[in-house]
Amino acid sequence: MTEAHPQTVYRSLLGGDPRTGWLGTGLLLAIALHAGVVATAYFLPRFLDRPKPLRKPVIAHLVALGKPRDPRLMPRKESAPPPAAAAPASIPQKTPASTSKGPTRELTRQELMERALAGAARGRTREEKPDPERAGQETGSPQGTAASAEEGEKYFGEVEERLHANYVVPSVISERERLYLSATVVIYIGRDGSIVRHVMTKPSGNSFIDQALVLAIQRTKLPAPPADLAKLVRDEGLEINFKP
Amino acid sequence: MKRLIVFALAAGTAAQAQRPTIDVSGARVQAYPIALAPAAGAPEGGDVMEVLALDFDRSGLFRLLDPRSFLADPAKEGMSANTIDFSKWTAVGAQALVKAVAKVEGDVVKVEFRLFDVPHAAELLRGEYSAPRAAIRQIAHRFGDDVVRSFTQEPGVFQTRIAFVRETDNGKQIVVADSDGHGAQQVTSGSINLLPAWMPAGRSLAFTSFRDGAGAHLFQVDLATRAVQQLVKMGDFATGATFSPDGIRFAFSASQAENTDIWLSPIEGGIMRRLTESRGIDISASWSPDGKRLAFVSDRAGSPQIYTMAMDGADVRRITFQGNYNQEPAWSPKGDLIAFSGRDEHRVFDLYTVNVQTGKVTRLTQNEGTNEKPSWAPNGRMLVFSSTRTGKKQLWTILPDGSNARQLTLEPRGASDAAWGPLPRP
Repeated sequence: MTEAHPQTVYRSLLGGDPRTGWLGTGLLLAIALHAGVVATAYFLPRFLDRPKPLRKPVIAHLVALGKPRDPRLMPRKESAPPPAAAAPASIPQKTPASTSKGPTRELTRQELMERALAGAARGRTREEKPDPERAGQETGSPQGTAASAEEGEKYFGEVEERLHANYVVPSVISERERLYLSATVVIYIGRDGSIVRHVMTKPSGNSFIDQALVLAIQRTKLPAPPADLAKLVRDEGLEINFKP
Repeated sequence: MKRLIVFALAAGTAAQAQRPTIDVSGARVQAYPIALAPAAGAPEGGDVMEVLALDFDRSGLFRLLDPRSFLADPAKEGMSANTIDFSKWTAVGAQALVKAVAKVEGDVVKVEFRLFDVPHAAELLRGEYSAPRAAIRQIAHRFGDDVVRSFTQEPGVFQTRIAFVRETDNGKQIVVADSDGHGAQQVTSGSINLLPAWMPAGRSLAFTSFRDGAGAHLFQVDLATRAVQQLVKMGDFATGATFSPDGIRFAFSASQAENTDIWLSPIEGGIMRRLTESRGIDISASWSPDGKRLAFVSDRAGSPQIYTMAMDGADVRRITFQGNYNQEPAWSPKGDLIAFSGRDEHRVFDLYTVNVQTGKVTRLTQNEGTNEKPSWAPNGRMLVFSSTRTGKKQLWTILPDGSNARQLTLEPRGASDAAWGPLPRP
C-alpha cells in the first residue's frame, strides 16, 4: 500500500487554478479595480459638469472721480466716462439747481426731421452728455467707471471693460431675446494681448447676437497679460459668459 | 466563455485644465442702420417716406442714414433685388434698405414698399399699402409696423394713439392723437378734464373732470360719438382710473372723510371694494401686465413712495426707498419695470424706472426741465411723458434706457397727462 505524500503546489495567482481555469480571482480583482479607476476618471468630470475654475476673477472697475453720492438721494443718470481729450481731473462744475428754463421756441416739423437726420449722422447709440455731478470718489480717476471701489483682479477687469465697450447688440432683435439670451465664448490670448483665436462654446441661438459677439471680440484690443497669467490664458483660454 | 475587456486607458482620463471665467453683461443696444431710398412715382411717396423716417427715428430701433450720403442712383435702380447694387448700400453702412414707388388713383394713394436685407442682398418684405389722400400718414404707420414685426417679431406701435390733456383758453381738454402726435382731435369741451385712461379695446376713455360742479369725479367719453357719461361719483373726489388688462374691472382713487384710498370696481358696475386702508394718501394705481398686482403711491411712511399690492389689497410691498417724492407709477407691459417721476435734491421732477425684482432705480431724464407722467407704449419699447425742456410742457417719447428723446406735440399752450393707447385690434 502506497502512502500518499503531501505535495506542495506552487500556483501563481495570475496563473489561476487549473481547476477553475486560467483566469484567477486576483486577475478579476485587478481588472475590476482598473475598470473602476478608468470609469471614475472618465465619468466623474461629467457628473461634476466642469472643473471649478482656477480663479473666478472679481472684476475691478476704475473708480470715477467725483463725490460719493448719498444713497438716500435719487440716482444720477448713468453716463460714460468723459472722452480722453476732456480736461483731466478738474473739479466738477456745479450745475444750476434747476434747468427747467430751456429755449422757449417750439421746433417745427422740418426742424424735427432735420434733428432726426442729424442724430442719425452722429451715429451714436445714446445721446449722453458728461454729467458734472457724476458720483465717484475724490481720489478716483476721470476715466473711472464705478462709483465705489471694488477689489479684484486688475487684468481681468481690464479685459471685461474692453469687451464691454464693444458689447453692442442690434436694436431689432426681440426684447425677449435681448434680455434673456446668453452665450459663452472662449478666447485665447497671446503674450502681446492679441486674441489669437476664439471658440463659441455656447451660442445664444440668435444669429444677430452671435454675430455681434464675434464682432465685439474682433474689435477688442486687449492689454498684454501679466506674466503669471500669460501661459494660462494662451493655452487654456479665458471663458467669457456674455449675459444680457 | 470569459472575455478579456480592454480599456482605452488614455481616453478621458487626462484632467481638464482649469480656465478662468469672466462675465460680461449690460450690452449696449445699437440702432439698426437703415436707408430709406427716395420714393419713385407720385410725389405723395415722398410725404409717406418722411412720416416713415420720423416713425423709425422715434422708435430708436433704426438709425436713419442721411440721403445725402447715398451712392446709388435711384433712377437706375428698380424695385427688385436683381436691379439693386447692394454694394453701394453696404458702402454707406446700410444694413436694411426700404424702396417705395407711389401712384395716385382718384383720391386713393397707393405705395408699393420693399424691404431688403442689404448684407444678404435679400428681400425681406413687400406689400402695397393704400389710403385716401387725407390719410396717407397711415400708409407709413402700417408699413412701419410691418417692418418692426419683420425684424423683432413684436408688434410695432406706429398705428396706436395717445390721449393727453391740452391746455386751452377754456380749461383743460382731453385730446386723442396718432402715436406721432399728428391728427389730434379734442374729445371733451369745457371745464377741467384730466388724467385720461384708455378703456379696454381703445374705443373710449375714462378721465377725471370737474364738469358737474361738485368736485373732481370720473367720467367716460365714447371716442366715436363724443358722448360723455359719469363713471364714478364718490366721496369728496374720485380720480385716476386704470383698467385691468383683462378689461373687467378698474381701480381708482377716492377720498372719503379726508382719507384717500385705492378702490376697485367691476367695469359693468356693482359693488366697489376698498383696497387700501392706511391713514395716508393712496393714489395713482397702475396694473401689472398679468393683472395680479397694482402699483400705487402712498405717503404712509412719511413721504410719497411707490408700493405694490395684490389685487385684494394684501401683500403690500414698498418698492422705492430713494428720494422723498416719488409719484405716477406706470407698470411696464413686460412687467419687469415700473416707470415713475421722482423729485431729486434740486427739487426737479425727472423720470426713473425701478426694477420690480431688484429694486434698482435707473434715471431716464436729467438736467432737461421737469419731466413727468410716464406712460408705456404697448410693446414696452418706448415711453411718452411730458417735459418742459423746450419751454411749455409738451409730450415727448423716450426709450426705456433714457435715450432717444423725441418731441411729439407742438401744443401752443402745452400738453400733459399722456396715456398711450392699446394696440389696434386686427
